[in-house]
Amino acid sequence: MVDQNSNYALQTSEVYVHYGKKMAINNVALNFPKNEVTSLIGPSGCGKSTFLRCLNRMNDVIDICNVKGKFLLNGNVDIYSPDIQVETLREKVGMVFQKPNPFPKTIYDNVAYGPKIHGIASSQNELDEIVKDSLHRAGLYEEVKDRMDDIATGLSGGQQQRLCIARAIAIRPEIILMDEPCSALDPIATAKIEDLINELKENYTIIIVTHSMSQASRVSSKTAFFHLGNLVEYGETGKIFTKPDKEQTNDYITGRFG
Amino acid sequence: MLYLSLVFVFILSYSFYFYGKKRALSLKFKKNENLSSLPDYYGYYVVLLVFFPAIIIWFFLLIFKSNFQEMFVMSPVLFPDVATWSSGKFGLIMNKISNLSMIVNLSEIDLTVGDKSILKMASESEIIAAKNLANFDKIYGWSNLTLFIILPVLLGFLATKSISGKLNAQPIVEKIISYVIKGSSYIAIFITFGIFFSLVFEAINFFRYVNFMDFFFNTAWNPNRAFVINASEGFDQEALKEAFGFVPLLTGTLLIASVAMLVAVPLGLLTAIYLAEYASSKVRDIAKPIIEILAGIPTVVYGFFAALSLAPFIKDVGEGVGLPVSAESALAAGLAMGVMIIPFVSSLSDDVIKAVPQSLREGSYAIGATKSETIKKVILPAALAGIMGSFLLAISRAIGETMIVVMAASLRANLTFNPLEPATTITTQIVTSLIGDVEFDNPKTLVAFALGLTLFVMTLILNIAAITIVKKYREKYE
Repeated sequence: MVDQNSNYALQTSEVYVHYGKKMAINNVALNFPKNEVTSLIGPSGCGKSTFLRCLNRMNDVIDICNVKGKFLLNGNVDIYSPDIQVETLREKVGMVFQKPNPFPKTIYDNVAYGPKIHGIASSQNELDEIVKDSLHRAGLYEEVKDRMDDIATGLSGGQQQRLCIARAIAIRPEIILMDEPCSALDPIATAKIEDLINELKENYTIIIVTHSMSQASRVSSKTAFFHLGNLVEYGETGKIFTKPDKEQTNDYITGRFG
Repeated sequence: MLYLSLVFVFILSYSFYFYGKKRALSLKFKKNENLSSLPDYYGYYVVLLVFFPAIIIWFFLLIFKSNFQEMFVMSPVLFPDVATWSSGKFGLIMNKISNLSMIVNLSEIDLTVGDKSILKMASESEIIAAKNLANFDKIYGWSNLTLFIILPVLLGFLATKSISGKLNAQPIVEKIISYVIKGSSYIAIFITFGIFFSLVFEAINFFRYVNFMDFFFNTAWNPNRAFVINASEGFDQEALKEAFGFVPLLTGTLLIASVAMLVAVPLGLLTAIYLAEYASSKVRDIAKPIIEILAGIPTVVYGFFAALSLAPFIKDVGEGVGLPVSAESALAAGLAMGVMIIPFVSSLSDDVIKAVPQSLREGSYAIGATKSETIKKVILPAALAGIMGSFLLAISRAIGETMIVVMAASLRANLTFNPLEPATTITTQIVTSLIGDVEFDNPKTLVAFALGLTLFVMTLILNIAAITIVKKYREKYE
C-alpha cells in the first residue's frame, strides 16, 4: 500500500486502534498529499478524531490506547519507530484543538513558547520576527500588535483559536492537524479560520476533522468519510459531495444519519 | 426533666407534620377545596408553629431557671437581711444552699440524724432553704414536663384548625425557614465579632499599663518583671517598660515558621507534582489520604516527637560537627511543624494542579514540549496563584501552632535568627501567661490578649491574602 511517492506528506496503512478491548479504528489506509487540505468527516464516534491524534502520537498519553499500523512521514520516516522522539515528531506535525486552549500567558509568550523550547531562534530579534510572522500568517497580527503583553485568555474565542494556529505554525511544522477547529466559534470567526486555512495550504499540509459538511466542501480538496472505525470512502472533495461511490456516504452527506 | 421535655417538644412537633398534611388532604379530597399550596407545606406549617414557640419558651425557662431558684429560695422570710448582701456573699450562700440541697435530696435524711458534720456548718434557715430548693427543683421539673406536653399539643391543634384551602402555607413556611437560615449564619458572624471585641477590650486594658510603643518595639521579653511593685503603690513603671518587648516573640515566631516552611514547601510541592502529574491513579488514591493523615495527628504528638526524638538527634549531629546546639532548639520545633503542614501544601497544590485544564497539557505536548517542560512552563505558572494560596494557609497554620513549640523549642524569649538556639513564639507566651492562678488585673495576664489580638490580625491578613489569591485563580478558568 505504501509507495515511496514523495508527493505525500504522510502515508498510513493497516492502522488499527484499540481503547482497551474496544476497537476504534479498523484497518485504515490513507495518504495525505502535500500542501493540500484533507477533511475527515463522519458521525460522532466514528474514529476520525482518534485517527487524527495518531498522526502526531497524541494518543500516547492515553494509557489504554493501543495504536498499530504504518505511518510514514515524507515517505521515509516511520513516526512510531523507537528511534523517533515524539517531541521532534510534534515539531513537524502541529495540532490545533477543538476548543481554543491558549496558555494563561501573554500573547507574545504563547507564540514564542514553541520556538523557545525547540531552540529555533538564535537571538531575541529573530524570536520577535518569528512571533510577528506567525501572528501575521494566522491573520491576527493587526488585531493584537499593540497588546502583545496582554494575557491571551482575554482574547475572543475566534482570536484565541487563531492564536493557537499562530502558536502551532511558529515552530514551522510541515503538517497541521486540526480537530474541529471551528466547533466552538461563531459563524464570523469560523469564516476567518476557513479563509486562513485556504491561505495556509500554500505552505502546509493540513488535515482537518470537521462535523460541518459545508466546511469540508469549502476548505478541502480531498475528503475521507469514516464510519464505525472504518474508512468508507476517500476521494476528491467535489466527487464525494456530488457523486459518492458508496451508499453509506451518500446517506451521511444528505443527512439521513449521523 | 428539662431535657426530657425537650424530647417531647421534638417528638410532638414532628408528629404534627402528619396531622397537618392529613388535614390538608382531607380538605382537598373530601370537601373538594382547592389548596393554595402543596399538601406537604401544610404539614411543615403546623410543625413550625408548634416547634418554634415551644422551643423559645423552653430556652427561656432554661436560662432563667437560676433566677427563679434564687427568687424562691432567698426569701426575706428566711434571710431578713438578704437585700443588704453583696453579690459575692449572695453567690456564696446560694452555692452552699445548692450543695446542701443535693445532700438533702439524695439521702432524704431527717435533719436530726445522718451526716451531721456537713449539716452542722449550716444554719437552720440555710437548711430550710436547701429543702425548699430541692422541692422547687422537683416542682419546676414536673411542671416543665407537663407544660411541654400540653403546650405543643395545644399549639398543634390550633394550627391545624387554622388550615383551610385559602391559607397559603408555602410563603409562610419559606419565610420562617429563611429566618432560621439567616439566623444561623448571623450566629457565626456574631461569634467572630464577639471573640474579636473581647480581645480588643482586654488588649485595651493591657495598654493602660504598658505603652503601645514599648510593647511593639522593645527587644526584651521578661514578663516576670511586671511583678516588681513599688513600695508606694502599684506597678513599677520602669520595670513595666522593660517587661513586655514584643520583638523577640515576633522573630521567634517567624524563625520557627520559616524553618517549617523550608521543610513543607519543597516537600509539599514536589509531592503535589508527583501525585497530580506522575503517579498512577492507584498510587494517588492510596498515597493522598495517607499524607493527609499527617495533618490529623494531634500536635502534642508532634511535640513529643520533636522534643524527645528530633531535638536530641539534632544536638548529637550538631556536636558531631562541632556546632553548639541547645537541647531545645527552634530547628527541632520548626522541622516537626514543617512535617505537620506538608499536607496543607501538598493536598491543596495537588488539587489546583489537577484543576489545570487537560487542554493546556495537550496544547503544550502538541507543540512538542516534554512532560517536564509542560509542568514547569505551563502547568505550574497556571496553578501558581492556587499554590501560593496553599503556602499562605500553611504559614498561618505554622504561626498559630502552639503545642510543638511549648514542648520542643523554649519558653525563654531569645532575640535570634539562629535556628540552633532556643526561641519562643507568640502562642507559647500566651499559654504561659495564662497558666496557673490568674487574675485579670495585672499586665502579666492581660498581655495574653494583646498577643492574641496581634496574632489574630497577622493570621487574618494572611488568610485574606490567601483567599484573594485563590479566588483570582478560580476566576481565570471558570
